[in-house]
Amino acid sequence: MGLIKEVINGTKTLLTGMKVTLDNFRKPPVTSQYPMEKIEMSEAFRNVIVLIEKEGIGSHDCIDCKLCERVCPSFCIYLDGERPEGLRRKRSTKFEVDFALCSDCGLCLDVCPTDTLGYSKIHDEAGYNRSDFLYDLIEPWADKEEAARERLKEIEAEQAAERARKAAARKAKKVKREK
Amino acid sequence: MKTDVIQLFENPYLALGVTIAVIMAYLSVNAIMLIWLERKLSARIQRRIGPQRGPFGLMQQIFDMGKLLSKELLTPEHANKLLYVIAPILVFAPVVALSSLFPITSTYIFHDFNIAIVLILAISGINVIGIFLAGWGSNNKYALLGAVRSVAQNISYEIPLILSVIPIVMITRTMSLYDITLAQGTYPFVLVQPIALIIFIISATAETNRAPFDIPEAESELVAGFHTEYSGMRFGLFFFAEYSNMIFACALATVLFLGGWRGPFLPDAVWFFIKVYALIVLMMWFRWTFPRLRFDQLMKFAWVVLVPLSLINLLITTLVLKIV
Repeated sequence: MGLIKEVINGTKTLLTGMKVTLDNFRKPPVTSQYPMEKIEMSEAFRNVIVLIEKEGIGSHDCIDCKLCERVCPSFCIYLDGERPEGLRRKRSTKFEVDFALCSDCGLCLDVCPTDTLGYSKIHDEAGYNRSDFLYDLIEPWADKEEAARERLKEIEAEQAAERARKAAARKAKKVKREK
Repeated sequence: MKTDVIQLFENPYLALGVTIAVIMAYLSVNAIMLIWLERKLSARIQRRIGPQRGPFGLMQQIFDMGKLLSKELLTPEHANKLLYVIAPILVFAPVVALSSLFPITSTYIFHDFNIAIVLILAISGINVIGIFLAGWGSNNKYALLGAVRSVAQNISYEIPLILSVIPIVMITRTMSLYDITLAQGTYPFVLVQPIALIIFIISATAETNRAPFDIPEAESELVAGFHTEYSGMRFGLFFFAEYSNMIFACALATVLFLGGWRGPFLPDAVWFFIKVYALIVLMMWFRWTFPRLRFDQLMKFAWVVLVPLSLINLLITTLVLKIV
């Protein structure tokens, strides 16, 4: 009697198993054809940092403050910059990241005063030497630099005008009160 | 009326040659296509895409064939050379020899043999010897263990296999596959012998060494079982033999239980192959669903469940035939 029960039970489980595979057979495949199609990485994905385009400037807004270079626990960020003619802020001329040293901690992103740092969506970089992982973050923006500087001049002029107007208003107020 | 293709030729040797050539060509193409089908099916079951070089991944099989053909035929150092070489041929030969017996269409058949079932059951046992020689000849512990397991398993499952065929012979009172197909004019025998069909399918899965009964080539325990030492086209022959045995077992089940070429609307041969390939897909479905049995479970299943069940089935069939 036990044997018959075992056989019936076994048959049931076998049919259940076959149903599971049939259900999976009918669903579409979940694989993506990697080299042919690129995978969309998630928002939280972390890889080497990049300079993000800031609105209104048409380029990054790195001001060579060197905060990221200083906060970096792995010392993998190398910055250099200059102050262009007629501009209040500095512009970085060199922004290199040695990704072979980077630990993706994200402190540079947190510390960036202009929020112009972000994570790239690269996920399949490979190299033969350590030097292959030395990323130049300025280079992709090089051809937009001239235009960006012009825009920045306009923006700064506007800001200066605004500041001057405010200062004048404040002064006027002060004069009024003194009277 | 039926015509034996073999009798169309004047020269019997020419007839033999043509028959073997046609069957070999069919079995080779069939094996290649079945490997492709199995890879695609397993991929879909595991929610992958599977091979995809060329249209529907078909080119993958051509490349694989080229690879197998171009590889060196290695012989292990202390192998028994004679046994090692003839083993793959012995595994593949019975299927080729027996495939000519199947009535694929109602008009043209290769040869109608009046004791076909006895011949099939006798000769299909030869490939066990082939497997054992492969294991023994290659002088490898894994191969030998796989071969020993294979022999034990095949002998055990041959009994329920034969016992599930006997009721059909009792009903039809003939052993010719053509006449058995003719006898299923009104209904296929699966309606009167469902248990026999189930036993037959299970035993056939075990006989062809396929999962969940693939203990002779259990990868996790025995590397690759009896064909561990084989390379190149000798291994390819084992591979072909597996799929040829599959189609052979499914064709036998089709003729015995599903009415062979009988079916409405479509031509005879189409119905035959539809049934055969449906059964093959079922066997592939088994393979990619069920985990492998342990060896004692396997033997227990054969002797404690299948043999008594088929004996009871045989007894009931006998009683019903006697009364009716």
